Amino acid sequence: MEVTSWTTMKRFVYINDDSCRYSYCGNRISNTKYTFWNFLPKNLWEQFRRFMNQYFLIIACLQLWSHIAPVSPATTWGPLIIIFIVSASKEAWDDYNRYLSDKKANERKVWVVKDGTHRQIKAQEIHVGDIVWLHENDEIPCDLVLIGTSDPQGICYVEMSNLDGETDLKTRFVPSISANLSADQLGKVKGVVECPNPDNDIRRFDANMRLFLPIIDNEACPLTINNTLLQSCYLRHTEWACGVAVYTGNETKSGMSRGTAETKLTAADAMIDKLTIAIFTFQIIVVLLLGYFGNIWKDTQGLKQWYLMYPMEGPWYDFLVIPLRFELLCSIMIPISIKVTLDLAKGVYAKFIDWDEQMFDWETNTPAHSANTAISEDLGQVQYILSDKTGTLTENRMIFKRCCISDTMYGNNNEDDGLKDAKLLHAVSSNDPDVIKFLNDGTVSYKAQSQDEEALVNAASNLNMMLISKDNSSAGIYFNGSDFHYELLDILEFTSDRKRMSVVIKDGQTGKILLLSKGADEAILPRASAGQQIQRYLEAVEMYSQLGLRTLCLGWRDLEEDEYKEWSKKFREASCSLHNRESKIAEVCHSLERDLHILGVTAIEDRLQDGVPETIKLLRNAGINVWMLTGDKQNTAIQIGLLCNLITSEPSSQLLSITGKTEEDILRSLERAFIIMKNTCETKDLAFVLDGCALEIILKHSKESFTRLAMLSRTAICCRMTPLQKAQLVAILKSAGYLTLGIGDGGNDVRMIQEANIGVGISGREGLQAARAADYSIGKFKFLRRLILIHGRYSYNRTAFISQYSFYKSLNICFIQILFAFLSGLSGTSLFNSTSLMAYNVFYTSLPVMTIIFDKDISETTVLQHPQILQHSQAGRLLNPITFCGWIGRSLYHALVIFFITICAYADEKSEMQELSMVALSGCIWIQAFVVTMDTNSFTYPQIILIWGNFVAFYMINLILSAIPSLQMYTIMFHLCGQPSYWITMALTVVVGMGPVMAFRYLRDMYRPSAINMLQQIEQSNGSIQAFGGMDSALESVRTNLTDLVTDSRRNSDSNYQPLLSD
Amino acid sequence: MMRRRDALGNGNLERLMVVGAEPDETWPQNLLLRSQTAHAHAGSPDPAVLQPIGPFVAHLLSPVRLIQSRGAAPHVASRAVVSPLLLHHSPEVRNPPPPDLTASSIETGDRRPPSQMDPLKTQDSSKKSNKPKCSYRLPPPPPPNPFSFVYSKFTQQELPACKPLLTPAIVISAFLLVGVLFVPIGLASLSASQEIVELIDRYDTNCVPMADKVGFIQNSKTDKSCTRTLTVPKHMKSPIQIYYQIGDFYQNHRRYVKSRSDKQLRYKDAAHLTKDCEPEGYSADGAPIVPCGLIAWSLFNDTYTISVNKKAIEVNKKDIAWQSDKSKKFGSDVYPSNFQNGNLMGGAKLNESIPLSEQEDLIVWMRTAALPTFRKLYGRIETDIMANDQLTVVIQNNYNTYSFGGSKALVLSTTSWIGGKNNFIGIAYVIVGGLCLFLALVFVVLYMIKPRTLGDPSFLSWNRGTLDYPN
Repeated sequence: MEVTSWTTMKRFVYINDDSCRYSYCGNRISNTKYTFWNFLPKNLWEQFRRFMNQYFLIIACLQLWSHIAPVSPATTWGPLIIIFIVSASKEAWDDYNRYLSDKKANERKVWVVKDGTHRQIKAQEIHVGDIVWLHENDEIPCDLVLIGTSDPQGICYVEMSNLDGETDLKTRFVPSISANLSADQLGKVKGVVECPNPDNDIRRFDANMRLFLPIIDNEACPLTINNTLLQSCYLRHTEWACGVAVYTGNETKSGMSRGTAETKLTAADAMIDKLTIAIFTFQIIVVLLLGYFGNIWKDTQGLKQWYLMYPMEGPWYDFLVIPLRFELLCSIMIPISIKVTLDLAKGVYAKFIDWDEQMFDWETNTPAHSANTAISEDLGQVQYILSDKTGTLTENRMIFKRCCISDTMYGNNNEDDGLKDAKLLHAVSSNDPDVIKFLNDGTVSYKAQSQDEEALVNAASNLNMMLISKDNSSAGIYFNGSDFHYELLDILEFTSDRKRMSVVIKDGQTGKILLLSKGADEAILPRASAGQQIQRYLEAVEMYSQLGLRTLCLGWRDLEEDEYKEWSKKFREASCSLHNRESKIAEVCHSLERDLHILGVTAIEDRLQDGVPETIKLLRNAGINVWMLTGDKQNTAIQIGLLCNLITSEPSSQLLSITGKTEEDILRSLERAFIIMKNTCETKDLAFVLDGCALEIILKHSKESFTRLAMLSRTAICCRMTPLQKAQLVAILKSAGYLTLGIGDGGNDVRMIQEANIGVGISGREGLQAARAADYSIGKFKFLRRLILIHGRYSYNRTAFISQYSFYKSLNICFIQILFAFLSGLSGTSLFNSTSLMAYNVFYTSLPVMTIIFDKDISETTVLQHPQILQHSQAGRLLNPITFCGWIGRSLYHALVIFFITICAYADEKSEMQELSMVALSGCIWIQAFVVTMDTNSFTYPQIILIWGNFVAFYMINLILSAIPSLQMYTIMFHLCGQPSYWITMALTVVVGMGPVMAFRYLRDMYRPSAINMLQQIEQSNGSIQAFGGMDSALESVRTNLTDLVTDSRRNSDSNYQPLLSD
Repeated sequence: MMRRRDALGNGNLERLMVVGAEPDETWPQNLLLRSQTAHAHAGSPDPAVLQPIGPFVAHLLSPVRLIQSRGAAPHVASRAVVSPLLLHHSPEVRNPPPPDLTASSIETGDRRPPSQMDPLKTQDSSKKSNKPKCSYRLPPPPPPNPFSFVYSKFTQQELPACKPLLTPAIVISAFLLVGVLFVPIGLASLSASQEIVELIDRYDTNCVPMADKVGFIQNSKTDKSCTRTLTVPKHMKSPIQIYYQIGDFYQNHRRYVKSRSDKQLRYKDAAHLTKDCEPEGYSADGAPIVPCGLIAWSLFNDTYTISVNKKAIEVNKKDIAWQSDKSKKFGSDVYPSNFQNGNLMGGAKLNESIPLSEQEDLIVWMRTAALPTFRKLYGRIETDIMANDQLTVVIQNNYNTYSFGGSKALVLSTTSWIGGKNNFIGIAYVIVGGLCLFLALVFVVLYMIKPRTLGDPSFLSWNRGTLDYPN
């Protein structure tokens, strides 16, 4: 209740009145996150809210205590500061750009009218109540209530693409109260606008305006969103317009709807976090053990070593010193560079998506775009795709196909175009009154707001009935050589609840008032006047929707003058109300839309987009479950589902319909569907069909059993879904632990897109709204296959490697340090010097790993030929605890090899600390280079340059460092490079380190190959792709049957990971 | 952004150059449209007139449209440009053109990719008729523009790549190669190592006559000299290195390894920099110790006098330290002071009149060892020693390894290219090489017994009908 009272709080805007102008914020826009002063503390606070950064900060602080620091604090502070500076400067740069654009907007000159005089001021100086004067193509500086335009009819056009992404122009109207004011009067007008407090709903503005003397019209005039000019839109095709500022600065509708989207965490990221925590735990255990034994060694041995001069009695914290030293020594187990490396890699994945030419839509000149750069890996692990139908699977290009007027069906089966139907042409030319009325209906309401209407008007104009003029209050129709004029009295707008819209018109010739309605069949047919035969129309609707056509029912009714007047008053009241305006209007409209004479049914075709069936087939082969969620009718939806391979009509598939008249019926059919689905042989393609009402009841009563059903079902068609229900379905799948991808094109899909793990928007004909809310926007549904199979899969593979390798190399050096601890009296001496440690993590090993962002395990063609391979990444086979253990094992093995070869080869007189440390470090670098090489599947020149260039750079850097006398490692590298035994040791290290890995790999690839290995081999064996092409088709049937098996096995055995890289 | 992409990516470059201006994205679309309309109506279809409104129009109009407006039907072009925006509310539409024509002119706008932009072709088609039939037909994407970064092979991830696989041929030959290389290298190292003559004499137990070893060593009064006699097994070529070897001595201990001041060793006026040297930083009277720290303090102080066949030979103790250490790490103007003055005696004393850079024993000692058992160079004998010669070593057994149970040994060793005597590398090479050859053989045999065609799709799990991935 509190919320309601809060939302209904009002603001009163006094036009042209200085007294209230300072009670609201000025028009200064500020999108910046920081100010100059709070940048550092705020940014630091933000950065150190992450666990990893806190960890590193604690480590860095501990390093400052020189008593326990094994190496110079710079080894941690350096990278930490670099990482901090990198992310801070990125933030600062973004914020600075925001500041600049804000400044530009704030200092833009705008014209305001003050007591009749025009003045030019900066946009930021506008206050609530000012009258702002706009010229053509001006950007609107704040939210205005339109009070006058240059257009005599009081309309102006705005482009709102900045706000809702729709590029078509919107018409805005001057409220009736100020419609007749001259330009001079407008400058002096006084009045008050009563409007709600600022909110972010760009489709609603329920306000009233009252003008004061000298304009004598004291009646409150209702204002809607159609009377407003919203900030950041553009005025078009209108010489000038002026309006009263009602919301300014950050309180405008566009200002309020800005907000930072919550960051999405990918499944791979979550896994990395888990692994990090596991490593952290492991680290703590190691530290405690080493610390404990270190203290024991100190007490038993250390005190005897006179040269150590251990004091007999240490300070109270003495027992902590050794564990803390080991903590610092082991702190590199968690690689400080992993976050930066991953962020960088993700940025590159996103760029690859943006750049991809094959996802460039030439028809609309739209490239694919990834708005969210952080979640590309999730694309490779998608399990459920929830797709919108209209505009996503279909082109959303409506073509009028058939109609049924007064029991006559026009348009027959063979004909492509309903318009060419001779019967219809005949009917038109013979002036069949019903047909004419039918056509009128479509035309009168034409505003090109909806695709259906456009199709109808186009069709009508092809039948010689042209809409020749249309403005705020009248329409003219040119038909068979004569003009007809209709006065448009009221529009009962379309809402998704009512599912219909109506107009009240007055015939220019006869003066008769007519109500014309159109809408969904179930919204129109029940409102037919009693006694009318609607059976025929029901049949028509049924028939059309079976053909996959969209149907609209049309109806009309004569209105008596009195009836209209009475209703009109109620309608006006309702549209003036500030509370629940929508429902009140709906109620009033309801009262008028009854006893309709059904005129007929239109059928409009919405063609499938290019490549949709193939894409869906491919995605389903890839083990992704595709659900279709649509607002359309069940039959149409099923038809489209058949057309686009979502369901097959063969006996191999079965549709389970969950319907019923009562709640019990529905729940019972849900249970039945569940039992059938559970017990049927898995090769059979089962899909369930559900509609909105049923879903509502199901969600209310048995959400659990529905979730179970959803988990079993590979395909589902959900029709008559509201935007909220679409989002609910996504939420159900998400809560069951699946990775969902929502794809849609319209405003009604936005909620689903935002709810899903990955939101993909089609930048389509319904505007860019969905594309803007989405993480990825693509031009066509068919690009989804590249987005998932190519980009998603590669990104996942690459991230899996980068993250695990980062841990591998850190653990590798850490294990060496731990092994060395056993030879240095468990005292926490670092084998490596500070410079080496710092450079190792930040430089030597970070660059080679980046090369993997160019890696492709198998070619794009192969992936598209064998989409099943996606199941590998879906099941997380490349990044899971088992593969990670494999990497840890390899890391331990390599550490042992490096350490023991080093201490054996450099024993006795050679066991000089600096030399030994450099030998071990070079051993690491050599092995790393070969590890990366071995795990790279394809070598492109950047990879070769980075891997081996880095290797060369290691020697260069160390030779340079060896030339600096003040460093500890002065001349060390010269010594080493001059020794044959050094190079011999390196070769030994590499062979012992890599030999078993290679042998193991070879045996596995040869005798127990994974699917990826198989495909690599297929690719390699010359020309085999062509050669096996024929074989593939032969195997096709087998494969399609078995795909399901594989996915089901995946589903049943999530733990059945395959360690790919274990030693 | 999209417009720009169109301009560059679609290869409209030439057209832009014809018009001769940079694409200006901020140019108000509406204004341009109007002026374009005006021009068309004014009957000046010459494209040169378009120049002032330049880039945008050039951009908006494909060659098709330019040619149309130049040719027969200027009004078509004008309407084509206007109609998309005014369609909904303009009287222009009162006599609407045939819908497909309108549509086609819209279609021929920005969307037409440059593969259709071939001037010859388009001219042809426009000459043929004014009713472009191909209005909805969209040509396939054009080839990437080589001049544009966006369409480079890099951005398309299509860089030429080499994809080596672990095929039997590669793996077997790799193992063979390694084996073939490693065995000889191993044998060479082994023989080099074997040729080195090494004499080790552990003397720590034998040089202490009494049971209370620690008491003995700590008593500064007793005579600690000890004579050891060794027989040289093989001819030892000069230079013969003399090492002392200490076991279980943790020179790598953290407390120890850090206890030094490199600045103090190098610079004369840095004597006070003893922060890291605790507890051997300052002497009892508060003066800084040079060289400070535990390492210097515990300097090894056993000495060896060596005679061959009863004839004393000279042990060269010059140049036993690294030249770089002497010149750059230890100052030639830094003299020891307050060293070993405290109550607690550590190791050797230093001659305070010799600068640190000449104190080579100290320099050698200060190069800390990484392992608890280590050898340090004591000196060199620069004459050959024959086989069966009797070596007599008089040891001043001063250094205390007894309290922690460490060992002490004297080592005489010749050198070769591989360094000192170390069989590890040789043995490891031979073993690894042998294993590689063995593995190569095993792989060959395996391949013969169980040949497998690479890349047989029937092995794919989804083709095979098994439920699980191969494990």
